[in-house]
Amino acid sequence: MSQQTALSVKDLKTYFYTNKRCNKAVNGVSFDIKKGSTLCIVGESGCGKSVTASTIMQLLPRLSRIEEGSITYNSDAGEIAIHELERDGAEMKRIRGSEIAMIFQDPMTALNPVYTIGFQIAESLQYHTDLNKSQIRARTIELLANMGIPSPEQRVDEYPHHYSGGMRQRAMIAMAMSCNPKILIADEPTTALDVTIQAQIFELMEKLKTENDTAIMLITHDMGVVAELADDVAVMYMGNIVEAGTVDDVLRRPRHPYTKALLESIPVLGRGRSQDIKSIRGATPDPYDRPKGCQFAPRCDFATDACNQMPAEEQLSDTHRVMCWQHEELKQNA
Amino acid sequence: MLTFIVRRLLITLPMMLVISFLVYLGLELTPGDAVSHMIDPEVANEVTPEQLAQLRAAYGLDKSFIERYGIWLVNIVQGNFGHSLSGGVSISAIVLDRLPATLELSVFALLFSTLIGCVLGTISALRRGSATDSTLTVVGMLGVSIPEFFFGLVAILIFALHLNWLPVGGRLMPGDESFIDHLPNIILPGIVLSLMMTAGVMRYSRSAMLDSLSREFIRTARSKGLPEWRINLVHGFRVALTPVVVLIGFRLPTLIGGSVIIEEVFQWPGVGSEFIEAVRGSDYPLVMSIALMSVFAVLMASLIVDVLTALIDPRVRLG
Repeated sequence: MSQQTALSVKDLKTYFYTNKRCNKAVNGVSFDIKKGSTLCIVGESGCGKSVTASTIMQLLPRLSRIEEGSITYNSDAGEIAIHELERDGAEMKRIRGSEIAMIFQDPMTALNPVYTIGFQIAESLQYHTDLNKSQIRARTIELLANMGIPSPEQRVDEYPHHYSGGMRQRAMIAMAMSCNPKILIADEPTTALDVTIQAQIFELMEKLKTENDTAIMLITHDMGVVAELADDVAVMYMGNIVEAGTVDDVLRRPRHPYTKALLESIPVLGRGRSQDIKSIRGATPDPYDRPKGCQFAPRCDFATDACNQMPAEEQLSDTHRVMCWQHEELKQNA
Repeated sequence: MLTFIVRRLLITLPMMLVISFLVYLGLELTPGDAVSHMIDPEVANEVTPEQLAQLRAAYGLDKSFIERYGIWLVNIVQGNFGHSLSGGVSISAIVLDRLPATLELSVFALLFSTLIGCVLGTISALRRGSATDSTLTVVGMLGVSIPEFFFGLVAILIFALHLNWLPVGGRLMPGDESFIDHLPNIILPGIVLSLMMTAGVMRYSRSAMLDSLSREFIRTARSKGLPEWRINLVHGFRVALTPVVVLIGFRLPTLIGGSVIIEEVFQWPGVGSEFIEAVRGSDYPLVMSIALMSVFAVLMASLIVDVLTALIDPRVRLG
């Protein structure tokens, strides 16, 4: 693994078990996150984005497990095979919060309502650093100040309900960044915020990325966010990464019908009111009753008989890969 | 916080006033008045209406209802509850004599049920679906549904009569002086009185805990790499505590109501057993005073619960 890679995921499979049925939520996913860059994972609801994130943190529900594959974390002290660690073991607990941190979709519910913001940030520092009480407090205030929270000395002792939505998400990021993690996983961090606040949060994340060399894994379903923030993009559908590459590869030269369909479903400013927004027909299949071959085939405009077989992953260039039988045709089409 | 308490107290005052009025109205509506109770039925025929009127005037009973209510209220505020009909002892003396025993029993039951209920409920929630959880659920359902006096009798039969571990009843044995001395006496009535509440608190804290553990801040806490006990207790239990405290506040009246029966079963010399005697003897002033005092106790308890809730949950202090 190159020194530039922060986290490498290979052929990861995470299955959920309910009533003797098995949901292959993540079904063979591979990607790398590079230091100081952002990987965006895009896809519709239920495609396995969040499960991938939870798997990396080993925060899966009880009735699910890593079936196959590897998650390798490149720490300062050498490579750590996360998939081999005990789910709630000491080593996993050490990595969580200090090496890999996570922020969530809704900062309203992700913070504990009965404790002050300062208390909740200090908690991470208390368990992952050797700082004493006054140092922890100073560091907490410093973190809040870095995240652009006004008068942090007073704000540190306030409760989440005193904060606005955007400030809560900043506080969440302060909490996540408290121990200088190498990787920040952001699970739709701005979905619950309004658009102007979104931009501020993204600016903050960009700053963290360049200043601290943090690798960011950003889960989103917003293609606008991808265009703005991503260095690399992975498009997920039904537990597979159907297309991955640099942001230019994927957004400018999409080779998978699903990526193309996603891009065509976004209204574009300036094209006027009557522009043709294409929705993707059909709905995501029932995870317990999946199509036989390519998972997207039933909704795909390019599907042929060949699509009854699962396509293999094909490397189009050093960075760009796709899982589709028809990718040549899409090249001409584009 | 201080403003919160003061404002809460100010809300309690008019409530007390309304309730005291209702209690006095109840007393007024009972057949006969104090004078008719004072006169022996055997000599009632010999008393002239003039003499009756004279007596009524002497006791202020000729005044209007509202006027008498005012005088009564002023007396009560000054701690003068009047006299018991049977024996003519001042009610404050009776209550002061009986109250410590009842307080002792209620506080014991309250602490016991809160502590045991919360602990068992939390264990039940953390081990959801396990054999421990199922057992506690069944025991909890039994505890909620079987009446306390039945438990009381069974407990006396087993622990006092058969096993001879604990006394059958009573509060103070000859020679007992300190609290420790009569600790064995309080164990049976205290635990029996708290059983129903313990079961209720347990069921409720289990569901509050499960609810709190499924919230997103638990996932946040986990993603911070905190140890499991801290996730469950500091984050989970603390949030589950608010609804549990509110429930305990709501259940306090049942505790007071239950103590009336339990005191009778265990011959505990508290206000409750006095209350039963007063009802039997149609001692209306005493019944009303005790009722008024239980209402006062419940109101004070709900005040304390509100203050506690505000202390536990910062969102309550809003505005």
